[in-house]
Amino acid sequence: MNLSFLRLSIWLYLAIFFAYLLGPLVIMSVTAFNSPSFPSATPWECLTFEWFSALFQDTRILNGIKNSLLIGAGTVVLSVTMGLAGALMLTQIWPKLRATYYTVIIAPILIPGVVLGISTLVFWDRINRMLGFGPDSLLSSGLFLTIVGQSTFIASYCMLVLVARLQRYDIALTEAALDLGATHAQAFRKVLLPFMRPAIASAAVLAFLASFENYNTTTFTFGEYPTLTIELAQKVRYGISPAISALAFIIVVLTVFAALANEATIRRRELVAAARRNATVAELSGGRVTLPGFLSGNTAAVLLVVVSIATIVVVGTATVYSPDQCIADVREQKRLEAEKRAEELRRKRDEERKLKAEQAPVTTAPSGSTGSSSFGGVFDPNALQGVPSEPEEEGGADSGFGGAFDPNTLQGSGN
Amino acid sequence: MPRILKDFLSRNGTGPGLVMLGLVLFWTVGLIILPQLSMLDFSFRPNLPPPEMGGPKDVYTLENYKYLIYGPEGGSQAYNTVDLMVFFRTLVAAACVTVFNLIICYPIAYYLGQTKGNHIRVFALMLIIPYWINEILRAFALRIIFGETGVLNTIFTGIGLFDTPFDFIRNDYALYAGLGYAYILLMIFPIYNVIESLDHNQIEAARDLGAPWWRIHWRVVIPYAKPGISSGCTMVFMLSAGALAAPQILGGPSSLWFTQLIYQQFNDSSDWPQGAAYAVVLLVTCVLLVLAVMRLFKVNMGDIGK
Repeated sequence: MNLSFLRLSIWLYLAIFFAYLLGPLVIMSVTAFNSPSFPSATPWECLTFEWFSALFQDTRILNGIKNSLLIGAGTVVLSVTMGLAGALMLTQIWPKLRATYYTVIIAPILIPGVVLGISTLVFWDRINRMLGFGPDSLLSSGLFLTIVGQSTFIASYCMLVLVARLQRYDIALTEAALDLGATHAQAFRKVLLPFMRPAIASAAVLAFLASFENYNTTTFTFGEYPTLTIELAQKVRYGISPAISALAFIIVVLTVFAALANEATIRRRELVAAARRNATVAELSGGRVTLPGFLSGNTAAVLLVVVSIATIVVVGTATVYSPDQCIADVREQKRLEAEKRAEELRRKRDEERKLKAEQAPVTTAPSGSTGSSSFGGVFDPNALQGVPSEPEEEGGADSGFGGAFDPNTLQGSGN
Repeated sequence: MPRILKDFLSRNGTGPGLVMLGLVLFWTVGLIILPQLSMLDFSFRPNLPPPEMGGPKDVYTLENYKYLIYGPEGGSQAYNTVDLMVFFRTLVAAACVTVFNLIICYPIAYYLGQTKGNHIRVFALMLIIPYWINEILRAFALRIIFGETGVLNTIFTGIGLFDTPFDFIRNDYALYAGLGYAYILLMIFPIYNVIESLDHNQIEAARDLGAPWWRIHWRVVIPYAKPGISSGCTMVFMLSAGALAAPQILGGPSSLWFTQLIYQQFNDSSDWPQGAAYAVVLLVTCVLLVLAVMRLFKVNMGDIGK
């Protein structure tokens, strides 16, 4: 009883937690397919794909993607090489210096990105001036500054990833290569580098993602190379549109794809290894190991196929589907609603006017007699009582006095 | 020293050794140390147009720091209350976000770390996926949800909780939720890494000895997970105090984050030295706060980043 209650609350907590984590992404993705021009999931109006075409026609976004790829490539190369050098150095630095050195190379992770951006900008601006270059030299270009600024901290991430693998490296391997006559460069390239390749690959992926989504540092250094993130931030800050949701949806789908593909290959490798382990010697030597199929026992692979098919279906629908009819319907419905509301408003106003008209003589009479003697004849209290609507019209025309008598007269005449 | 250098070069080969040394020096000195020092130096200088830099007017001054405390010279107020308020509000809010994140992440990290099974991998994947998506887009997603006609307001007015839409953005709830959201992973993973290595027998032993579940956590799990907790808290605190995107997108129009002041000084009023001074203040305060808290809880610097 008690245990099942505990288990239930754990699952409830997990559900709430993952709803907080994934819910915003799901809702954002949904808004990409809804027709209102302000991104909203409720009320659902029409299924539309126009935000995707709006996205692909946005030259600033496309240019941002190009710049992001360029900067990402530069950052990957620079930070992976620096991270590798830093990791190698960490294994053989003078022990007394080790702690200090580690603090220095780990610090950029903790320094706020804003501070890194500013210091990069200020420092290279000064170097540029000291060397006597103009304001459009390489050292002050947004491309260079952004790559350098981002690499400062991304190299630290790479270093952490690489050090984890390097700790399992047996230095005797390099020594053996050297004994066998390899040069240091050869030993590095033929022995150490192949060993480090998986870690280098994951460091490169990490570096690219970190560079692609960096905002705090880039916002100070981008200059004339606004990245995708910068463009997005500017769009989001000054008016949001479902085209951004569309982009987010594409990124979400790509991410899910990559994650599932990665999961599927890992699981596949495990299954193949298990099959080999269970195979008999005869099967192995004959090369007739029955390997499991790609999809069997591999949930991630099944999901991957499902997601691919769903994507193809959605893209296929998008090319033939036209939401014009639905949008027209919704517009018609909105028009009707607005009309109904206007009608109601008019009726209410009419009622009010009627009410006012009944009270009008009482309110206008004293002010009419005291306010102006020249109008006294026209606004004769007795005449008013007989024809209530006429003087009201006059009051509307004559702003000087009509307004003073009764604020509702203006509204009435405007109707 | 030259002997060390010679040893180093003979161990790595002259060519590779020099390349390695060059890269490390470029990174540590050229990208980390010198820019920070340069920013520090810059923050003590007056705001001059480029031709006058290095001229007779380019002297060290405390003007930029005084500005943060006392405001513009001849101002109506004795202290620069606006900027100081923003500064303290940022620190307090960042600390609150950190505590909030710790509270919601600890159970998850504990569960993931101590449960075996295939579904743990699925959970880990679901944790990581949001972090492959741009920070700006995550803030944007929350803005859709918290907006005046957003999902939350539609639901709450629909079930009759509020009569009128509640302005989450003006009241900064959206900002706190966004900051918490942005750094969940950085809190979970360090704690998870530590708890995963905790021997489950220790928990069993405590349970056999009659400890209630909260005491098991208080006396066994939390002391063991302290390095992970401090590492996660440090990262979340530093990152949320230094966040720029979330406050810009989710912050109310009347409330600023300290980084936004820095941003304004660089981009709107182009007073770089002033911005550099503010950045130095932010950096130094955050580092001191983190060190003080680490001293308080007796954690080492070397545990960070594990």
